[in-house]
Amino acid sequence: MIAASIQAAAERARAVGLSAPRLATDPVNLPTIRAWTDAIGDANPVYTDPDAAARSVHGGLVAPPAMVQVWTMPGLRGAAGGRADDPLGVMTATLDEAGFTSVVATNCDQAYTRYLRPGEQLAVRAELLDVTGPKRTALGEGFFVTTRSTWFSGAEPVATMDFRVLKFRPGPRPAGSAVEPAGSVAPIMRPPVSPDTEFFWAGTQAGELRIQRCGGCGGLRHPPGPACLSCGSIDKPDYQVAAGTGTVYSYVVHHHPPVPGKQLPMVIALVELTEGVRMLGELTGVDPADVAIGLPVRVRFRRVDDDLVLPDWRLDRPGALPELTISVTPTVVVATALATRDFYPVHHDRDFAERGGAKDIFLNILTTTGLVQRYVTDWAGSEAIVRAISIRLGVPCYAGDTLTLAGTATATAGGERLVTVTGACSLGDHVTGTVRLAPEGTRP
Amino acid sequence: MTGPTVAIAGIGSTEFSKDSGRSELRLAVEACRAALDDAGLAPADVDGLVTFSMDSNAEIAVARELGAGELTFFGLVGYGGGAACGTVQHAAMAVATGAASTVLCYRALNERSGRRFGQVAAGILTGATSSAIDSGWHYPMGLATPAATVAMAARRYMHAYGATSADFGAVAVADRRHAATNPAAWFYRRPITLAEHQESRWICEPLRLLDCCQETDGAVAVLVTSLERARSAPNPPVVIRAAAQGSGVNQYTMTSYYRDDMTGLPEMGVVGRQLWAQAGLRPGDVRTAVLYDHFTPYVLMQLEELGFCGRGEARHFIADGAIELGGALPLNPHGGQLGEGYLHGMNGIAEAVRQVRGTAVNQVPGDGPVLVTAGTGVPTSGLILGPG
Repeated sequence: MIAASIQAAAERARAVGLSAPRLATDPVNLPTIRAWTDAIGDANPVYTDPDAAARSVHGGLVAPPAMVQVWTMPGLRGAAGGRADDPLGVMTATLDEAGFTSVVATNCDQAYTRYLRPGEQLAVRAELLDVTGPKRTALGEGFFVTTRSTWFSGAEPVATMDFRVLKFRPGPRPAGSAVEPAGSVAPIMRPPVSPDTEFFWAGTQAGELRIQRCGGCGGLRHPPGPACLSCGSIDKPDYQVAAGTGTVYSYVVHHHPPVPGKQLPMVIALVELTEGVRMLGELTGVDPADVAIGLPVRVRFRRVDDDLVLPDWRLDRPGALPELTISVTPTVVVATALATRDFYPVHHDRDFAERGGAKDIFLNILTTTGLVQRYVTDWAGSEAIVRAISIRLGVPCYAGDTLTLAGTATATAGGERLVTVTGACSLGDHVTGTVRLAPEGTRP
Repeated sequence: MTGPTVAIAGIGSTEFSKDSGRSELRLAVEACRAALDDAGLAPADVDGLVTFSMDSNAEIAVARELGAGELTFFGLVGYGGGAACGTVQHAAMAVATGAASTVLCYRALNERSGRRFGQVAAGILTGATSSAIDSGWHYPMGLATPAATVAMAARRYMHAYGATSADFGAVAVADRRHAATNPAAWFYRRPITLAEHQESRWICEPLRLLDCCQETDGAVAVLVTSLERARSAPNPPVVIRAAAQGSGVNQYTMTSYYRDDMTGLPEMGVVGRQLWAQAGLRPGDVRTAVLYDHFTPYVLMQLEELGFCGRGEARHFIADGAIELGGALPLNPHGGQLGEGYLHGMNGIAEAVRQVRGTAVNQVPGDGPVLVTAGTGVPTSGLILGPG
């Protein structure tokens, strides 16, 4: 009954087709770009350094592609939802009335026809692609609403974005599901530490994977303990720093029951380190179906909080990008929200966020898109041409957390480079996605 | 260990349910009273009590509620279900040495309506114990349930020997077939097919729901006394021909992942070698085996570790129908913990006693010895029982 009326509303919204163009409040401009690159931490000179930009493939300053949505954000007082032909606004109102009052962005797929330059005046037109539901989700029952926005510079389409949100009725939430509800995750279980084992945990804090090594005979052991298992000595406990590499000796895919602080399903691997000892840890950023005994893995240090850093593992794929760890302070959350011109209070007002069930303010999706772009272009170089960014959001990344971005690059038949990116925080994967780059040496 | 001088004279249990509605202490007392009745003895005859370190009912509390008199022997056996046959071994040693004359071994738990072992118990990480430190290498990483710990070993076993989920399923199918004709079993009249096993949901790959035993409320007690005293009991005496505990090198509780090899259960090998030596028997002499079956993969590994087949060959042994009633080694004729109920291995000892007496519901014919084992993946124990 409700579903039928919502689908009817969706049908009407679809029939409207493309909304009328909505103009950006300002042309593409350097001050706004600078505020964005400053907040995101993107030092690519083609965005802000006129001389370097002039020498680059762009021949002059350009705007970061991931900023495209920023130009047409409505601002603090200019709500876009009031327009009768704005499909997301219309569907939001319809779903609000039906009781699906909460919202979370789940997917954002942007494709860029070309780079934009300061001075260009943009307009955006939107259309409804589809509404599916009601679906049971980890957050509650809800509808997925997918819209497509197309940006124009004059009459020329320059970028598109398919944007999916979940409008849901907050309900009882099972822990450990794909889209983790704010604040519902029990705290991660903490390892007890003894004088025999504290060197290991001090090591993870320092970014080192330490293996107990006997100062007498040189024997290695893990897990650590007071004695050397090779010679029996208890007099000269020492350690060595492991290379951080190994292979999967065995693994499980855990589905049930919920595990505090973990997203399910999760892969847990028993890793045989290059040094010969075994160590157990979560294997993240991988489809469970892709895991096999014998695959090479590399350690990754995941900061849970000030006192605990857990060693995780990732497949050590050829083409792996160096990881980037970002400390997501409250300042970062607020500065990036404002720099992306997103004034929704969950990104700057902790009281508001907590009332909605979140444990703190958290990163907005425009920022996540920007961080993914920065991560890939930091690696690919300032002149890499970004053609598309496609991301899916997982758990929220709250203020106080650490976001670690990892990626793997592959070349496509056409010479384009596809970079698969995962951004993990203490609750699990915050973002997974791909960035499509033009073939190396392409001129814009 | 004791020579054939110690026997089991009585067994007792409550019903096996999902919600007993009674305290664990009361369940313990009910099972103990039933065992005393079965042995034709009175509470005043009891001078010893042994249970699991995991049991919530202190020996003195059970003695008090039973109306037992003075105790000269009491003790706890550790390592979860690995304690089961160990309680009987400890009792037998007490009887053999004269420390006690009549010892009750018991285990009572509201494991479905109370604390469910299948859930994550983060409390294990508290305290400065060696067990807490050990768990700290696994729980925070997410490996925090019994099923998950077994799944890790099972995956390596599959990799090494080519075993499949269907091979594990064969154990569940046999257990459930046996339980289907056991009125005391929770899954009485509810057999499963291999297809149902294969369709059951993942708990922790490679383990499916139907690879995992039940969670059960109930209690079981076993009364150990001298063979001489057992001869005057109403039921035929069941002699403890062998009893042993075992722990392997570099042993952990459920996570012995740091040995050279991970495809066996060396601690069960320690038990098996002692059992065969004490009893002067070989695997081929065993009439029926009650093998601890909280998770199916460890049944395959036990068959190999105890010498019923070669390394990696359990799947062929099972495929040949050996573990069915009428096969070479009928397995868990009561339905096991997958079919009858999960009493932490104690119901398996009761079944072994019934098989020796000739009173089991799925009686395996003959008068040969009966093997029973305790928890796997942990320091464990085993018994060989035979007629007096």
